[in-house]
Amino acid sequence: MAPTDRCDYSPPWGNASIIGVAGSSGSGKTSLALAIVAAMNLPWVVILSMDSFYKVLTPEQSAAAFRSEFDFDSPDAIDFDKLVDVLRELKKGKVAEVPIYSFEKHARLDKTISIYSPHVLILEGIFALHDERVLDLLDLKIFAEADGDLCLSRRLLRDIRERGRDIEGCIKQWFDFVKPNFHRYVGPQRELADLIIPRGIENKVAIGMVSDRVEKILAHKSKLHQVELRRLGEVASDSPLLPNAIVIPQTNQVLGMNTLLIDPATSKEDYIFYFDRMVTLLVEKAIDFLHFQPKQIKTPQEYVYMGLKKSGEVSAVVILRGGSAFETGLRRSIPDCRTGRVLIQTDDKTGEPELHYRALPANLSKDGLVLLLDPQMSSGASALMAVRVLVDHGVPEERIVFVTYMAGKIGVNRLLSVFPEIKVVIGRMGDDMESRWVETRYLGC
Amino acid sequence: MSQPAPSQSVGPLYRSESQKPTATVSTKLEHDNVHILPQTPQLIALLTMIRDKETNRADFIFYSNRIIRLLVEEGLNHLPVVSQTVATPVPGEKYAGVRFEGKICGVSIMRAGESMEQGLRDCCRSVRIGKILIQRDEETSQPKLFYDKLPEDISERWCLLLDPMLATGGSALMAVEVLIKRGVPEDHILFLNLIASPEGAVNFAQRFPKVRVVTAFVDRGLNEKNYIVPGLGDFGDRFYTM
Repeated sequence: MAPTDRCDYSPPWGNASIIGVAGSSGSGKTSLALAIVAAMNLPWVVILSMDSFYKVLTPEQSAAAFRSEFDFDSPDAIDFDKLVDVLRELKKGKVAEVPIYSFEKHARLDKTISIYSPHVLILEGIFALHDERVLDLLDLKIFAEADGDLCLSRRLLRDIRERGRDIEGCIKQWFDFVKPNFHRYVGPQRELADLIIPRGIENKVAIGMVSDRVEKILAHKSKLHQVELRRLGEVASDSPLLPNAIVIPQTNQVLGMNTLLIDPATSKEDYIFYFDRMVTLLVEKAIDFLHFQPKQIKTPQEYVYMGLKKSGEVSAVVILRGGSAFETGLRRSIPDCRTGRVLIQTDDKTGEPELHYRALPANLSKDGLVLLLDPQMSSGASALMAVRVLVDHGVPEERIVFVTYMAGKIGVNRLLSVFPEIKVVIGRMGDDMESRWVETRYLGC
Repeated sequence: MSQPAPSQSVGPLYRSESQKPTATVSTKLEHDNVHILPQTPQLIALLTMIRDKETNRADFIFYSNRIIRLLVEEGLNHLPVVSQTVATPVPGEKYAGVRFEGKICGVSIMRAGESMEQGLRDCCRSVRIGKILIQRDEETSQPKLFYDKLPEDISERWCLLLDPMLATGGSALMAVEVLIKRGVPEDHILFLNLIASPEGAVNFAQRFPKVRVVTAFVDRGLNEKNYIVPGLGDFGDRFYTM
């Protein structure tokens, strides 16, 4: 398939919706954001605090900060450029690295937190509605309204309890910086808001309205994603199996193992034994795609042999839960294989895959080959999502090998029409809409 | 050392020549009862690991086992199967499959052949394994049978004869004779081998044309001491004691 024939796939977290929540310090923005997220209870609604984006201070500014003489409540203290970068990456569905700011040290830590694949992002901070570029990225703008004395008392409690400050410093900061800044910069954001929410988390009606809105956005995204998957399925159903799909040779032994694995009368012990054996064959086939370079060696008798050595490491990413059935077989060929995990669950009602969890090895993109392991591929929807996750983490397509025991033609073609440069190694072609019995039999539930 | 070592670029068809590194590959043989594993870059890299004198024992064992598993898988494909239709997990659906036919057993030529038992067990869990000890007689320098312990019903079984190195083929040929004397039909014997010399493989093919030899690599030849060149040294020592 020529690169121009490539189909696009937009994951459900593509074009993430961003909700901005601004308001005075102590107005209850964080609680409000938390209440909205709690009302949804979904892993793909994420809060991003603007506190993470304080600028790196110069030594003089840092000294001032420790004397409580630095103005943290002015827009100048915020690194809007960094914030805009992060928001744009998330809007594109990519991985974004969010800095971590330490209030004790008044400095950015070396570590970052990576955010990936939120469908909805809630940006909260006193200046959430301040920067033009941020405003352009927001889908809903909220201003949290609260009385000044309430704000001050909340702020005092928080700064002393959680941020290690003393009371004199806090009060000094309030009258020197927070209050004047509120009137100059924070308050005017009211004019730009779509929604002004008074009384914070006590305002159940407002929280309900916002969470209804978020629910609607999520439902809409889910619908678009399902349409997208159907569209890709139509593209895929017409064409013959694409060349980058490699079905292992159906030798007598492979056919015999297939028969044992398919037969419901096979005992659980035999099933596991033959499945592990099959996986080893699949993995050996998959790692043939590694690149090699010449290497000359000497045998114990000092004879020279012109051989080869691999020019990169193989790592694996298991698609949970089914992929865990591949691990025994995988470790027979690569005992120390670095292995990442993603949990992708398919919604029973809609057939839509959902990314619940991911833990990937660092520097995955530098490996020679990344095997994606899933025992069964039917619609290819979760495979699409898993490959997309790897690509978003910088793994070049041509270094990804999707390894599966059983796959349907439409699913494989759907995957390869979106990612034509990956390889798919298959143990046996099956029907397109088969239930996921392979892992169920292996894991016994 | 009858012929030069063949060298070619190795890799899958879809890769351009420039992406295929050059390496020494197995010598080709004309005999159709000698089956040489496909010379994939992966296999060559595994063989490079076990030939290299710098490779430590743990790695030697691990990488030999990987090749041995491939040999066993290839060897087992020569065993007969019969059609069998089974039910599937999808209600009402049938699958036209096959069933493994016939009993098998492994026979390892001590001691190096015993190193291949794990690989065999990885593919055939409860396989019976017989043993044959053959040593070279110091006086005549001919192989001599010292010991054998084989399944009682071996004549009804397919035999997978295990020996990683095939140099002149003296002991392997003697082992085949032992099996045939026990009533195993010649065409029920498969000889699984990692590295063979062309002389050894040809000897075998001519003497027992019905025994199938499955090997990962046919090397360049033998030296004056009858060691395989380039070979990998003493397999048993490297696997068990070095």
